[in-house]
Amino acid sequence: MQRFILRRFFQSLVVLLVVAVVVFALARVTGNAADLLLPEDAGREDREHLLKALGLDRPMHEQLARFLKGALSGDLGMSIRYRKPAVEVFFERLPNTLTLVPIALLSAIVISIPLGLLAAVYRGTIIDRVSGAIAVLGIATPSFWLGIVLIYIFSIQLGWLPSARMGGPAHYILPTITLAAFLVAGMMRLVRSSVLEVLNSEFVKLARIKGLSQTVVIWKHCLRNALIPVVTLFGVFFALLVTGAIVTETVFAWPGVGRLTYEAVIFRDYPLLQAVILLKAMIVLGVNLAVDILYAYLDPRVRYS
Amino acid sequence: MRIRRPVVLLGLLAMLGLAAGVAPATAQDRDTLVIALDTLGAMVMDPIADTRAPHAHYHAPVWDSLVGFDFDKGGIGPGVAERWEGAPDGKSWTFHLRKGLKFHNGDPVTAHDVKFSLERKMSPESIASGAAALRRAIDKIDVVDDHTVRVHTKGVIPHFVASLSRAVFMEGTVMPKKYIESVGVKGFREKPIGSGPWKFVRLVPGDRIEYEAVTTPHWRGTPQFKRMVLLLVPEQSTRIAMVRTGEASIASIGPDAIKEAQAGGMRIVSVPGTMQAVYQFWGTYKPEAKGSPVTDVRVREALSLAIDRQQIIDHVMGKQARWPIAFATFRYSSDVTIPRWEDWAKTSLRYDPARAKKLLADAGYPNGFKLTFWNTALPGTPFMVQIGEAVAGFWEKIGVKVEMKTVEWGVFDPQTRGEQKGLAATASMYRTAGRPEPAPRYTTFTSKGVQHIFGDTKDCPALCQEVDKVYESVVSEKDDARRLAATNKMLEVVANSWMAVPIVEGVGLWAVNPKRVGQFKPIPGRHEFGDVAERMPRADQKPW
Repeated sequence: MQRFILRRFFQSLVVLLVVAVVVFALARVTGNAADLLLPEDAGREDREHLLKALGLDRPMHEQLARFLKGALSGDLGMSIRYRKPAVEVFFERLPNTLTLVPIALLSAIVISIPLGLLAAVYRGTIIDRVSGAIAVLGIATPSFWLGIVLIYIFSIQLGWLPSARMGGPAHYILPTITLAAFLVAGMMRLVRSSVLEVLNSEFVKLARIKGLSQTVVIWKHCLRNALIPVVTLFGVFFALLVTGAIVTETVFAWPGVGRLTYEAVIFRDYPLLQAVILLKAMIVLGVNLAVDILYAYLDPRVRYS
Repeated sequence: MRIRRPVVLLGLLAMLGLAAGVAPATAQDRDTLVIALDTLGAMVMDPIADTRAPHAHYHAPVWDSLVGFDFDKGGIGPGVAERWEGAPDGKSWTFHLRKGLKFHNGDPVTAHDVKFSLERKMSPESIASGAAALRRAIDKIDVVDDHTVRVHTKGVIPHFVASLSRAVFMEGTVMPKKYIESVGVKGFREKPIGSGPWKFVRLVPGDRIEYEAVTTPHWRGTPQFKRMVLLLVPEQSTRIAMVRTGEASIASIGPDAIKEAQAGGMRIVSVPGTMQAVYQFWGTYKPEAKGSPVTDVRVREALSLAIDRQQIIDHVMGKQARWPIAFATFRYSSDVTIPRWEDWAKTSLRYDPARAKKLLADAGYPNGFKLTFWNTALPGTPFMVQIGEAVAGFWEKIGVKVEMKTVEWGVFDPQTRGEQKGLAATASMYRTAGRPEPAPRYTTFTSKGVQHIFGDTKDCPALCQEVDKVYESVVSEKDDARRLAATNKMLEVVANSWMAVPIVEGVGLWAVNPKRVGQFKPIPGRHEFGDVAERMPRADQKPW
């Protein structure tokens, strides 16, 4: 296992280097920060001075070399817009996302696993059809629209919940529902199909022949085996949400890293964009590794050697 | 590797606790003025570290400006300097400072602070909007006495005073010399002080900035609220919801949200003359543009006559826009004869499709032609795209086949710099912001200007040379009457070229919760409320 982790670690370093170079190049394809920072009546001299002040007047290869050298020592450059180290800006916002995402994920698990299980066990019944409809609705409803509708109903019409922003526990309810709606739909369908597959397997049949109760068969033998693909999806969703809850964060004015990424793109804040993507890539690689390790726990047949 | 249930429960509880404790809810009480904004710029509390207009939202409450506003008419007025005068040779300006003004730590505001502030704005680390212009303009600064400062300019610069007003940029912001020297730049950015009517309390990145009102009378107006919070809420629907529920008192909105806000019982406050939406042609003088229909002035005039501006005002801008006057000229602009340009706009910018078609036929294009049109919106005015769509629709009606390229501003803008490859003989949407004097914006048309619409330094045809000449006569003329005549002439040359054409004069829009905030008057031309918040009464108070 240790060798596996070590190997994955070195593979991750290579991936990060590739990500760094690609992001560096792509960020510069569609314009530069100086043009967006300058007012429309700025002159050539204003532009030249700003480029120099931001270090964007240097040749591209020199900028790349400086970036990679800095990255090795943990310095990902200074955010052009915020005038602070990009890493600092990222970590200022990360806790805001990290308080929202796990709550949404846990809510999604609590709802989707029992629903998916019920849909599989009662396949073809009204329960299955209703859960199928919920899944379709969840996947088809755009988060953006759902968020606005929730604000309209629960904040404006009923006055029960705050419309937006971080705050006390009540502030978490609407963004959590918005984020979880999409997750519930996907996870539920996956749990259903996975449980159906396991239900037909030999060991479940054996458990039934042994005379075990339906509850023990389903919850102890069936669910644990059915959860392996769900864990994979969980890992993917976690990484996706940490890096891409842009829509929810925008609708609910949530100052997280999703919105920070969007701002970095719009304002061509290269150092910030590079830092955000690199740090997010690290999170994704870390989560993937954790998922692989979790596999070994869930399925003793899996061994990394 | 069995995960125990208590561990999971503890984890959940910890997360909820963290969730509850990360950011305390802001008290939305009657003493707090909460303004929800679409942008808070860079959110850096240092006047030399932000470049664009949003700093007029969040810097202005804390810092005063050397030159202020004419609060009623728009344009410039007294600020930290109560008055000023130019030297007879036009090469220096003497500013007489307001007495008794103090920074938030009790230190008096003196001429030394003004000199320090201007020099800091011009420093190499400054990325302020007009820092380069100040470097070009200022020769040296003398402190005459504690309340008098003299700025020597490099030559005659008649518009120098306006450039020190927040009506233009933020270059006249007065910062505390002694304080910055003692706490350093980092200390200043963390705990900034100024002499404005609001003291900085704290900044939560990406979320909000909190202020506290000064308790002593302030020349800009003593705040009626004890606290102010500026919230960053990027989504318009959310901002409106927050004003409806009382979580915010005021929110910035666009024209598309007027009906929704009114239906929700909100009052709409519109700030006149904050921008002018225009379209302009690129590189018509370049060899690649040879033979293009838009090199013919008749065609360019026809394209303007094809546009029904009233329709755009009524339907795209929700009736919250005005008929424009000349390029970059507003009703509050100085140095121009406004009635003359109002008359010109009434007739020349009329909707006359019949005449438009005749002009096209005269130019040899009775069946229209193909035109590439870059539809884009500058930051802060997303509705420009809808205006662009309407303009393209009107052009189609007279037979022009518009190839519309809708692009994000960040993609379009770099193309307008330097060689402008791919832009020759195309048109695009553009904007001019509300400014007290039109002249500085006319650099666009000079051969040395960034956009060099009429020609560049290598290739400057007759019209380009004429514009260069007339522009020079405006920006170097110290006699008011002669400068007025020269400015009118400059406007005339550009207007008759139909190269950059006003579409509508836009307004800044705000939705106000009438149960939270009483009647107040915005400053014409200044969209942001950084200089207005202190004059906002509570709902039960008399209008300001």
